[in-house]
Amino acid sequence: MTDCEDVRESLVLYAEGELSAEQSRSIQEHSAWCVSCRQEAAGIRQIRSWLLDPDLFLPQDYGWEILPSSLAARAKGRRHRWVPSNFSSLAWAASVAACVLLGLIFLQTVQDRSSLPGPSTTSLSPEDIQSLLRPIRSAHAREATARYLNECQDLLLNLVGAEKNCEGDRHDLSLEVERARELLRRKRMLDTELRAPEVARARELCDELENLLVSLSAAQKCESSGEIRLMERSIEKQQILLRINLLRAELS
Amino acid sequence: MALNGLRAIQLNSMANIGNAAGTAPDSTEFLMTQVQQGDMSAYQELIRRYQKKVYRVISSYHRDPADAMEVLQDTFLKVYTSRSTWERRTSFAAWLYRIAINASIDRYRRRSKGRTSSLDQVPESQVQRSPHLARPRSPIEGLRQEERRRVLENAIRRLPERQREILSLRYFGEMQLEEIAQALGCPLGTVKSNLHKAVAGLKALLLDQKELLSYD
Repeated sequence: MTDCEDVRESLVLYAEGELSAEQSRSIQEHSAWCVSCRQEAAGIRQIRSWLLDPDLFLPQDYGWEILPSSLAARAKGRRHRWVPSNFSSLAWAASVAACVLLGLIFLQTVQDRSSLPGPSTTSLSPEDIQSLLRPIRSAHAREATARYLNECQDLLLNLVGAEKNCEGDRHDLSLEVERARELLRRKRMLDTELRAPEVARARELCDELENLLVSLSAAQKCESSGEIRLMERSIEKQQILLRINLLRAELS
Repeated sequence: MALNGLRAIQLNSMANIGNAAGTAPDSTEFLMTQVQQGDMSAYQELIRRYQKKVYRVISSYHRDPADAMEVLQDTFLKVYTSRSTWERRTSFAAWLYRIAINASIDRYRRRSKGRTSSLDQVPESQVQRSPHLARPRSPIEGLRQEERRRVLENAIRRLPERQREILSLRYFGEMQLEEIAQALGCPLGTVKSNLHKAVAGLKALLLDQKELLSYD
């Protein structure tokens, strides 16, 4: 096996250790003097090393530890079916009738109670209601802000990797421009949440992000590498990604 | 700690039974026979061993991590409900991945009904990055690392279905080529030639991104 074409056809299986000793030796001998096959082999090895990256396609901090027990609980639930398969149709009819009867009794009771004077929720003062709602609003503001920052970060990462699909080797930004416009609309809705004191520190960053989004939404759908580099520099200069990470950690 | 200790005791006792039955005590096949008898700790151990591998295989079909996670859960629930259909003479991994791949294809078809007709046509804008995805250690390093994964993941999703299937089973499912042939019900030669085409195809797809991917 000394033909370059044959060797290249076998390089993946060689890297996988799927060739016989004789075939492997033949490839090694050929590669010792053939520069292009050696380069081809190096490329294959590089692709394999990327594919063996354990983080590829994998969310790192998902609750992997709890998944087995939660799935076991669900599977167990499926095993004990709520209605046994040998449940007779007569028993079914009796159950349905009992449910209807209970429902009627419940309705009657509710109607009787509503005709009697009694304590009502109107006894809560507006301050009480506000204090009850405060933690809910706070949690919502933190979650909405963290989600918004997350999406902005994804957009910025995508921007850097925009593909050169346009004519003249220009970067296709059509998706990023659309996404920036959508995130600008989201920012307007987020402004109410950003008034909450819990997310006060995020306000300044969100405003800076808004400026970036405005520039991006006004960009051409096909941009030159120079323009992309300018945007990258601006992101780096303002340490936007680092600040997003810090804030997200703070909000979570 | 206490739970880990308890798990170790359970596995040790299962190992003894396995020895008596003439099956490798730590083999997944043995665990699966225990699951067939309704042993939930063996079921949990199987999930623990395979959850990440199966997730990665499924992810090559789904851009949305939430979809992949749902398919992962459906797969393991199906393993339990269909446990009686697994036969001891067949590889557990092959059976498991067959379930995972079928579930992925089913879900993809259900989701894409009336929207897109092929996996490759799912627009990039629909990609929702999971909040669980590993975050970069520093912004610049993170950009490169995230970008490399993103480019590679997209390139894998662009491969023809059979090549993608074989590539993901080999590298993410860590299966032997013979097991892949068994799982897919095709000759070993087909697996080998498709694996070659997949890796060569990826190389061609990524060739113009050398700089981005820090090709060395």
